Order: sequence, then C-alpha cells, then structure tokens
Amino acid sequence: MSMMQASQTDSQNAAAKRPSTANIMRWVIIATLPGIVTMSYFFGLGVLSNVLLAAAFGMAFEAAILRLRKRPIRVTLNDSSALLTGVLLGVSLPPASPWWLIGVGMVAAIIVAKQLYGGLGHNPFNPAMVGYALLLVSFPTYMTLWAPPQGAVPTDLWAHISGSLPTAQLDSLSGATPLDAFKHKSEAMLASEFWAAQPLPSGTLTAWRLIAVAWLVGGVLLLVKRIISWHIPVAMLSSMILLATLFYLSSPSHAGSPLFHLLTGATLFGAFFIATDPVSAATSRRGKLIYGAGIGALIMIIRSVGGYPDAVAFAVLLMNLCVPLLDLYSVPRPTGHASRGDRR
Amino acid sequence: MPTAFDFPGGIYPPERKHRSQQSALLEAPLPRQVILPLQQHSGQPSTPCVNEGDVVKVGSIIARQEGMISSHLHASISGVIVEISATQITIDSDGRDDWQRLPEMNWQLSEPLALLERLNDSGIVGLGGAGFPTHIKTRVVEQHSIHTLVINAAECEPYITADDLTLRHYAGDVLEGAQLIAKLCGARHIVIGIEDNKPEAIEALRQVLSTSQPLAVQLKVIPTRYPSGGERQLIKKLLDLNVPSGGLPADVGVLCHNPGTLLACLQAVRDGQPLVSRVVTLTGDALAQPGNRWVRLGTSVRELLEQAGLDRAQLSHVIQGGPMMGSPLLTLDTPVTKLTNCLIAATFDELPQAPAESPCIRCGECESVCPVALLPQQLHWYARAKDDAKMQHYHLFDCIECGACSYVCPSHIPLVDDYRDAKNRLRHQRIETLKAEHAKHRFEFRQARIAREEAEKQARREARQSQNRRTPTAAASATSGEVDLRGLRIAHAAAKASVRKAEKTLARVAQEDPKQSLEDLEIQLATAQENLRAADIQLAQARKQQATETPAPAQNKESL
Repeated sequence: MSMMQASQTDSQNAAAKRPSTANIMRWVIIATLPGIVTMSYFFGLGVLSNVLLAAAFGMAFEAAILRLRKRPIRVTLNDSSALLTGVLLGVSLPPASPWWLIGVGMVAAIIVAKQLYGGLGHNPFNPAMVGYALLLVSFPTYMTLWAPPQGAVPTDLWAHISGSLPTAQLDSLSGATPLDAFKHKSEAMLASEFWAAQPLPSGTLTAWRLIAVAWLVGGVLLLVKRIISWHIPVAMLSSMILLATLFYLSSPSHAGSPLFHLLTGATLFGAFFIATDPVSAATSRRGKLIYGAGIGALIMIIRSVGGYPDAVAFAVLLMNLCVPLLDLYSVPRPTGHASRGDRR
Repeated sequence: MPTAFDFPGGIYPPERKHRSQQSALLEAPLPRQVILPLQQHSGQPSTPCVNEGDVVKVGSIIARQEGMISSHLHASISGVIVEISATQITIDSDGRDDWQRLPEMNWQLSEPLALLERLNDSGIVGLGGAGFPTHIKTRVVEQHSIHTLVINAAECEPYITADDLTLRHYAGDVLEGAQLIAKLCGARHIVIGIEDNKPEAIEALRQVLSTSQPLAVQLKVIPTRYPSGGERQLIKKLLDLNVPSGGLPADVGVLCHNPGTLLACLQAVRDGQPLVSRVVTLTGDALAQPGNRWVRLGTSVRELLEQAGLDRAQLSHVIQGGPMMGSPLLTLDTPVTKLTNCLIAATFDELPQAPAESPCIRCGECESVCPVALLPQQLHWYARAKDDAKMQHYHLFDCIECGACSYVCPSHIPLVDDYRDAKNRLRHQRIETLKAEHAKHRFEFRQARIAREEAEKQARREARQSQNRRTPTAAASATSGEVDLRGLRIAHAAAKASVRKAEKTLARVAQEDPKQSLEDLEIQLATAQENLRAADIQLAQARKQQATETPAPAQNKESL
C-alpha cells in the first residue's frame, strides 16, 4: 500500500504532482476556453448558449440518472465529467442550436452512452460524439445550420434557441462551412476555380482557421500540464497529413491541401479534446499510436470518399470500437521478458 | 557520473530524508526486555532451543533454523528467558550486557565453507526488507556463476536513511564485507549503486574506494528516482542487464546485497558477532529527535519512539518500512525485527489518508510510471473482475509492488493492493491444485497397495487349495486361465513400462531442479512398483495354475 498520496503538498517536489480526476476534467474545460472565446468572437453568443445549455442538461441528466441508479449524486457531479461532455458537445453544434436539439444530444451522450454502460470510466464510446453523431444522422438540417461569421448578437438569436424560427426561414440564414462547401462543389469544378470564385462569405475561412489555432492553443496547454499524452494527437494529425498529402499529390486539381484539412472543421479540436478522451481511447502507448493514426486515416477517407464533409465524430466512434482489440494486442513487453529474437 | 542504461517509468516522490539524515548514528539505550519473533526471515520460522528460565548471553542461540530456507535466532540482550510462545521468545534483561561471541576469523585466510557456516551460525539475513537468509543466497554459486556483486545503496524510498548513515560511518567495513561476499560467490567485480541525494555517503565511499581489495570496487552515482533501489531496476541501471521474468539476478550472473547486510556479514566473521542489532531510521514529524539508531532486535517500537521524543497528540499512525512499500503498524507494542529498516511516526498532515477512490478513467499515468512496463490500469480492471487468465496475459506476476502507479493515480485507486490480493488468490489456487494432485497420487498408491496385497492373498489361498485337493471346477477354469494368462502378460508388460517411465521422470526432474520437492513423483514411482509387483504375482500364479492343470499345451504355448 502506498501511503504517500499524490495530492500531498510538499514544497520540495511540486513537479511530481498529478491532479485528481476532477481536476483533470476541470483542466480540460479550462483548455476549451481559448476555442470557445474565439468561436464566440466569430459566431456570436449562440456558441455560449450552446455550451451553457448543454452543460446544464448534462448536469441535470447525470443527477437524474444517478438518482435512478441509486448512486451518490454530489460526489459524481463533482468530478465535472458531465459538465465536460456538455461543453464538448456544445461547441460541436452549430451556434444557437435549438434547446431541444441540445437536449436530445445530451440524453444520448449522458444517459445512453455513459450511464447505461456504468458511468464514468465504463463507457466504450465517447459520450459527446455519440450525442453528436445521433443528432447528425437524425436532424441533418439543423446540424448543418452554420451561419456565416457575424456580430456578437446574431439576428433572431432567441428565436433560434427557443426553436420558434419557422423551418422555411432556416435555409436562408444558413451558410456552409468551408469543408461543406468544398465537399459539395460540382464535380467538374477544379479546386483552383472553386477558390477563385470566392464561394464563402468573406472572412469565413479565416474565422475557421483562427478557431483551429485557438483549439491548438488549448491542446498545447493540456500537453504542457500533462493532462493528455502526445501519442494520440500526434499520431492522428500525422496520419491525416500523410493521407491528405497523398490525396493532394494524386489529384491536386480536386483535393483539398493538407493545410486545408488541418485547419478547417473539427480537426484540431478533435485531435486534442475528443480523440484524447482517456476512457474510450486505447490504453498502452503503442495502442494509442495505432488508435490516433486510425482516427486520422478514417477522417481523411470519409472526407474524401464518404458522404460527410467533416468526419471526426464517426472516425472517433469507429476507432472506439477497435479499442478492446487494440488493448488486447498492444500489451507492452515487460522488462525481463525476452523479445522474440533473443530468447535464450 | 551518468549511466546510459535506464529502466522505464519511475516517480519523484518528496524525499523527506533530511530530518533523519542530519543527526549522528547513535546507540539506542539497552532495552529492559526484548521480544524476539521466531519468524524474522523468509521461509520457515525457527524452532526454540532454550527453555523458560534459561540464562542467556548476548549472542546465545535461542532458536535454530527449521528447514532449508530459515535462519538461527540469537539473544539480543543478556538475561533470562521468561516466555516461549508459538511465535516468539521473550527475554528479561539482567542489565549486564554479557556477550557470547564466536571465535574471530580472518576471512581472507578462511575456507569458503567455514565462512558460509559462520554466516549461517550468525543468523544473517538480508536487512533490506525481504530477509532472505544470506548463506542460502550466497550458495546460488552452486548453480550459477556470478560475475558481479552489486551493493544496493540506492535507498530510493522516501524517509529512509539507514543505509546512508551506515555508509557514512562504516564505508570501509561495508566494502570489506562486500569483498568477503565476493570471495564466497566468486564474483570478479564489485559495483556500488548509490543515488545522488547522499553526498556524504558518496564522499565516505570515495575515501575508502582505493584501499579496498583484492577486487577493484566501482562506484556508480545514479540520479535520484523511485524505484531505482529495486533489485531489477538497479541491475538494469548499473549493468544494462535484464533479469528474466520470474528469474533471479543470479540468472544474469549478479548478486545484490544492501550495505547493512554486508556490514553484518563482516561483523559476524571478523568480530564473531551474530546478528543481534541493526540500524533503524526513526523519523516522521511526530518525533522530536529523529535519526538513526543501532537498535537491539526485539526492542519495542513504542519504547524506541518514546525515546526519540514521540508526540502522541500529533501522531496519526506509524509506518514500518518506507511510505511507498511499507505497512502501517496496528500496534506500537511490536518489536523491531531483522527486517525493520525504518519507523515513520507520521502526523496526519504529512501522510494523510487517501481520498475516496473514484472510477478509473484509463488516463494511462500509471503505465507511464511503471518501472516494469506493465499496464496497471488493465490489471486493475481484470483484478477487480477476478479474470485470472487476463491478469496472466497482462503479466501480473511481473509487478514488483513498488506503488508508483498508486502514487500517481488521479482517481486514488489503491492499485497495488488489488494486485497483491490477486497474486495471493492465484498462489492459493495453485497450492490447492497441487494439494488435490497430491491427494490423488496418494489415493492411487493406496489402491495399488491394496491390489498387490489382494493378489498375494489370492496366491497363498490358491497354493493352499492346490496342495489340499483338486476341485471339479479346476478343469473348467483351466481354459479361462489360458485367456487370463495373455491378459496378465500384457498387464505385466504395461506395469513394467510404467515403472521405467516413472523412474526416468524422477531422475530427470531430480537432475533439472534439485530444490524441487520430489514427493509426488516418488509416490507415482511407488504406485507403479506396487502395480508391477501385483502383476508379477498374478502372472506367476496363473502360470503355475496352468502348468499344474494342462501341463503340455501350456508349455508348448510358452515356448512358442
């Protein structure tokens, strides 16, 4: 039994500290702030309403189901994991999503994907991505409603959130994300023609790029604080860059550049905040490298060949499926076990 | 002096060695009473060889070793044996401190066998914590050739400074002890591994390094990191050798001893002084005068701590050993043994209770600190699920229980406790299986013996009958006797073959692993022999019967 606790305070040895589980969750939430602030700057208060609503739903559903499961409520809510799931789903949704859409997503995330599997630590799938994927396939109209970057208070903000905006009006307000626009350009059109035609409202591409950089900043914070290890993000981004380069080199006239894939959509957000969810990711270092690389490859394949413009959620969920297998076959060789070559 | 080789993982817990490091190594006051447990070493407890009321001197043997892995126990004060129980011997002091030493020896001129005998007679065991009898450890040379003796002076656990102080005061003696052991095990090199947080001990070693002979001694200063004092970790770090899983350092030609043990070896040989005292670190914030003491074995922990200024109001609990691998004492009325290297009288602030456990989020931090490169979180999962096959798959038995994983776990899961429970359960299962197997063999032996006795009885009866009179049924049984004869010949041949097989197996196993218990194989051989004897009798009897009843055809058949 180790009597020494990591939470001990000892002035001599500050470097050795490992935060508690609740603190890890809070650090991740803190690291989302640059991204949330930047998104809010470009997309307005709708981003905040998403995050706040999703977080509130998350806490409420968690409390409700813990009550049903007769588990301690306060202690579990204190671990902040439900809050984090809310924040992650909130920033993934189009700004100012209707409350019921967020509610449905959080039911899928907290109740189905997390608590029905046994709660924190037992969910095989990333809860936020389960919620997101469910909404994406069930309510495609609402899920592609990305308004162009605009002022702090978008028009009809309240009507959006309350869901009272007539459906007919929805389309006229929506714009496409860069990935979406590029994906749905006509077959005949060359990439160079597409960009020359200025297909997106002005500032859109820059906004997405700056948001991506903000997620990167948060990700670096997590790496520096040793909340996450480098294995998954590096493996995922490397395999994405590799595949994107291959696609780009094979048909430069029709494929997006590696930089385009890296800085648009949910790539960097996914690499640092979604794929790194420890519970649903592979555990060993080798397993993490394979897991991350798998996600990166799936994203590029779905983006290039599949039917969805962005693919982080599906890629993560598909790799979640592979985790038990990865865990079983990526057991490191303990010290003192002869490697296959030098068994004497 | 940097070393290129390294083991994975490791942690940097607060060292907290300064409190006990600063004061000199003192002699603890002579206790008025000592309680000496019969089990102060790995293996079998020793057997008392004195009676209540006997008068003993310091160094008198009061309990003898029992079985192969065991050790003698000596009186640590002079006085009267007042109580002998099933587990311990109590001695009241006469206050005179009369010694009974063994004759002094010159280790350089003595025969190895005599030296080994002296180590055994002196009751020396490894003082690092495992308590393996030193003379047995030294005898590994009978099966392995040893090239290097490693002095494990890493002392990586927080708080403990016993080896540090021992080296500062007895650097020369420790090295001489190492030369002595190196001679016994035939080592050609001596390497000292010491962490860089003990500058004074390193300096003391440097002073005497050049004068140590006959072997040159190499001093390697390694960075402070837990658990570099683990035998396997240190050997990796110093020599870049991997001790095989489930094996011993001797498998790669290395023997490890800690400084305290080497000093005790030298004292046993040079001064004829058996192991009756050891250096104990007394530390923790609840002590006013922390430090290291020479303590007579059997001294009460309570007495010792009170002499060091124990503040009962501040005391939360006392830990025996280090804070990572040691265990809390349930009572202070317990004696210091050969294995007590450190007593931490902790206040609540310095070593607080672990916060409540929360679910594992598989963050992988435990994996990154594991010095054996295991996957602690997977082991945790399967240990809780009692999935034994999976735990073997994830190499449960390679865990050295260092506690680094528990230390860093953000969910405060007592991981090592889980593994220890799982190991105990699996070991227990293995013993049960062996027991069942053993019982089966004994049963088979009994059956075979009964069958043999029955056959003998039958043979005698038949012999009597055939002498007395011929029954009318004898002719009828003669025909069936012919069929029986063939079956019996086959059975006889099979019994012979199984005896040969059992003999071969026994010989092979006995040669491969002389230490292993051969009882089961011996029973199997005996069973086969019984069966053969029964088959012999039955066959002989059937032949005789046939010969008397239908002499001609039977003989023809035999000759064919």
